[in-house]
Formats: sequence, C-alpha cells, structure tokens
Amino acid sequence: MRTLSISAALVCLALLSSVHAEEKLSMSDADKAMYAELLENNPAEMEVGEGEQLFNSLIGSAAYAKMLGVKEKDLPKTIAGFPRYVEPAKKVVTLSQSLQMALANQGKEVSKLESPEIIKMTAYIKSLANGQKTSIDVKANAHMKEMMALGQQVFEERRGGRGLSCNNCHSADIVGQRLRMQPLPDLGAKVTAAAGTWPAYRMTQGQMVTLDKRMQQCMENALLAKIPLGSREMVALEVYVTNKTKGNAIQIPGLKR
Amino acid sequence: MRKVIILGLATFLSAADLSQVIESPDATAILKKDALPVPKQYIMPEGCVSNEKAAIARGQYLFHNLNGKDAKENPPEGISRKLADGKDKQYGNCVACHNIEGAKGYGDIGPDMSKYKELYMDSGVRNAQFMYQKIADPRLDNPHTHMTVNLANGLFSEREVCDLVSYISAIKK
Ligand code: HEC
Ligand code: HEC
Repeated sequence: MRTLSISAALVCLALLSSVHAEEKLSMSDADKAMYAELLENNPAEMEVGEGEQLFNSLIGSAAYAKMLGVKEKDLPKTIAGFPRYVEPAKKVVTLSQSLQMALANQGKEVSKLESPEIIKMTAYIKSLANGQKTSIDVKANAHMKEMMALGQQVFEERRGGRGLSCNNCHSADIVGQRLRMQPLPDLGAKVTAAAGTWPAYRMTQGQMVTLDKRMQQCMENALLAKIPLGSREMVALEVYVTNKTKGNAIQIPGLKR
Repeated sequence: MRKVIILGLATFLSAADLSQVIESPDATAILKKDALPVPKQYIMPEGCVSNEKAAIARGQYLFHNLNGKDAKENPPEGISRKLADGKDKQYGNCVACHNIEGAKGYGDIGPDMSKYKELYMDSGVRNAQFMYQKIADPRLDNPHTHMTVNLANGLFSEREVCDLVSYISAIKK
C-alpha cells in the first residue's frame, strides 16, 4: 500500500483540534470518524492502481518520457513541475492533456479529459512524483508568464449569478473565516497543499476528483459559469492555483472532505 | 524522390506536432456571457421599506435560504421555488456570511446583522438607502468587497431587495 498523505493527516489534526467551535464545524463526529478511517485506507488507491495498469498497457513510461523529451528517470521531477510548456504541444498543458498527447502519439484513441481513463492515469502518473515538491516555474518562459497572468485574472474576475470571484473566498484576507459552517481554505497552505493533493478522494462525492474538476465544483456552488476542462482559462487557473502551493509535497491520492 | 522526402517530413512533423489532439475548448464566449456590468448607483424605489409581515417574511426567507431546491420550508407567498424557465430560483444565502437573529449555521465573512436597527440605524450610522445599495451592488462603495452582487446581475428584483432591507431593519423578537 502507498504511504498515507501527511498533508491530509495535518488537515485532520487541524479539524480535530478546533473542537471548541464544535457545532459550527463543517464535519460532524461521524464524518470525522469516517475521515480517520479513510486515512488508513484511501479508496482512491484502487483507482491509482487501475491508472497504473491502463498507463502501462496504453502508453508506458519510456514512450511517455520520450514524448515529453526527457529521460525516463527524470519523470518524477518533470511531473512535479506541471502544468508546463511542452514543445510537441506548443503550449502550456496539464498532466491530463499530456496523457492525451501520449495516447495520440502511440496511435491510441484519445479519451476525453472527463473520462475515467484519463482521470485514473493522471492520478497514477502524478503519484510517480510522490514525495517531490510541486515545482511549477511560472517564469520559465513567455508561455508560462502569460498563463500565470491569465490565471490570476480568471481567479480575480467577479462574475456569474452572485457576482463572486475565486478570490472572494480564497484571498489572503479571508481564509479561515467561515462561509456557512465551512472554513475557507488557504489554497497555498501546507495543510491544504491544493496542487499537491489532487487528484483526491472527496468524501462528500464518494469518488476521486481532479483539481480542475474540484475548481469546477466551486464554480457550480458559487453560481459561476463552469469553465470547460482543457480550455486556456482552465489551464491558466491550474497554473495560478498550483503556483500558490509551490514547494508543498506531492501526496497522491489526497483525501478531502 | 522529392515527394518521398516531403511525405516523410510531413509524417515526421505530424508525429511531433501534438497540439491538435489536446482537448482545448474555447471558453471566451462562456466568460463573456458570465461577466458583470460595471458598478452602478441604485436609488431605493418609493415605498421600498415596509413593516408589513408579508414583506418581512419574504426578506427573512431570502436571507436564510440558498435556493428553491435546498430550502426545507416552503416559501412564503410571493416567492417560488422555481423560475419561469424551470430552473431553481436562487435566494440570497446571506446567512452564509452574516449572523442575524435565529440564524442556523451562519458564517462570519460579513458583519453580524443582529439588532441591526437598534445598533446601526437608530444611531444614524446606517440607513435603508445604504443597505439597498449594498445589497444591489456592494462594489460601488467598496471595490474590494467580498460580498455578493444581487441586483446588478439580475439575481433579484427591486422588490426582493426591498424585502431584504425590510427584514434586516425590522425589530426582531
Ligand atoms: C463562495 C465561496 C467560494 C468561491 C467563490 C470559490 N470557492 Fe473554492 N472553496 C470554497 C470552500 C468553502 C472550500 C472548501 C470546501 C471543502 O472543504 O469541502 C473551497 C475549496 C477549494 C479548493 C480545494 C482546496 C483543497 O485542496 O482542499 C480549490 C482548489 C478551490 N476551492 C478553488 C477555487 C477556484 C479556482 C474558485 C473560482 C473559480 C473558487 N474556489 C471559488 C469556497 C469558495
Ligand atoms: C460571500 C459573503 C457575503 C454574502 C453571501 C453576503 N454578504 Fe453582505 N457583506 C459581506 C461583507 C464582507 C460585508 C462588509 C462590507 C463590504 O465589504 O461591503 C457585507 C456587508 C453587508 C451590509 C452592510 C452592513 C453595514 O452596515 O455595513 C449589508 C446590509 C449586507 N451585507 C446584506 C447582505 C444581504 C441581504 C445578503 C444576501 C442577499 C448578503 N449581505 C450576502 C459579505 C457577504
């Protein structure tokens, strides 16, 4: 079995230690017990295992490394730096998109970003970087700089049914405050480590979810129109949010509420 | 011979250029449609604030509930669970950020609204027009506000904003 997510354990500790606000906390005692149990045995481990099988039969790490133009032994380091500019795509891509490229390169059918195949394989290849730190370089080249700027703009733009932006709930001056009973997470904090811990098993959804899907869930809850997976704006958001958590350890699969 | 080289080059290029196989839909139209109008001043309509029970009940309902799908209690007369187009009607969910009398599971992003009339209106620091603008479009006097926009984006009607003002400024038992 894979090692447990330390950051998830920290989240758990943080939640358990704030019992003074008990009834206002978002997690009931039953939820906390379930969380502790899932920490022992993250259901998403199985999907990561399935991702490994799919990846090995459809692509393989030698072909994947070659497509990215890196040595196979450098894959963990390379993966820890995603989203990144990759030459054969001529643009900044997410790990999931790089799998679409690799599938096409192997002459295989290209599955949708939404598909279980891509989600499981994304979790698997990201887990190859477990123990590494997220190392995105938003100044690496003009493409990354441009995507970082776009990401910040999308993050801060107020829109939708309630006129809210991501920043309205995740800006530095507001994290830790409560929306209903829900503490607002600091996306960059060690305990959250947003980029290092997705794909994660989401208890409230009973399934493994990728970071872009998680961001779409926030959009849905806050009545912002959902930005489609893979679009420039969604990749830019992933760049921006990943950069917030730069330096935090990668621990896949994560475990989230 | 030349043809072969060109063909060879073409396959080489197509193998190397993987930009076309990536799923990358265009989101600009979605974002444009979702944009907000620029902040604007709103003047409270005549007879906006009411001490009628019905108006206060509507305001209370809008304040404490998220939308027609999630609300446990049935809405008071004058508010429906669904919109004409069949979609769920969205309410204010103000309690997500504000405490107020009788609030259950409130948040603390915005100021506590308990005893609002006694504490803020009777002393003259706040009035109904201030509240009306804040709810309609809070960006006008605070460009960095974390509060929701409720009239400028068509979430509510003028009357619904007035119902909210009536509820917040009502004396509560
Ligand atoms: C109305 C408030 C609100 C808005 C607007 C909002 N979020 Fe969130 N977000 C939350 C809350 C609350 C949580 C924590 C929920 C939980 O623990 O299940 C969260 C969690 C997240 C997480 C997961 C953090 C983690 O690793 O545990 C990410 C990533 C995220 N939001 C990104 C975004 C992005 C990107 C946007 C804008 C498109 C956005 N959020 C808009 C309230 C909001
Ligand atoms: C996402 C958080 C959030 C939500 C939801 C929200 N508010 Fe606010 N509200 C705030 C914040 C923050 C302030 C502080 C002032 C400012 O930034 O504009 C505020 C201020 C106010 C004020 C002015 C208080 C004063 O006297 O200074 C009123 C009135 C108000 N809100 C009413 C409402 C109503 C009614 C709703 C629901 C329709 C609502 N709010 C929903 C966050 C929120």
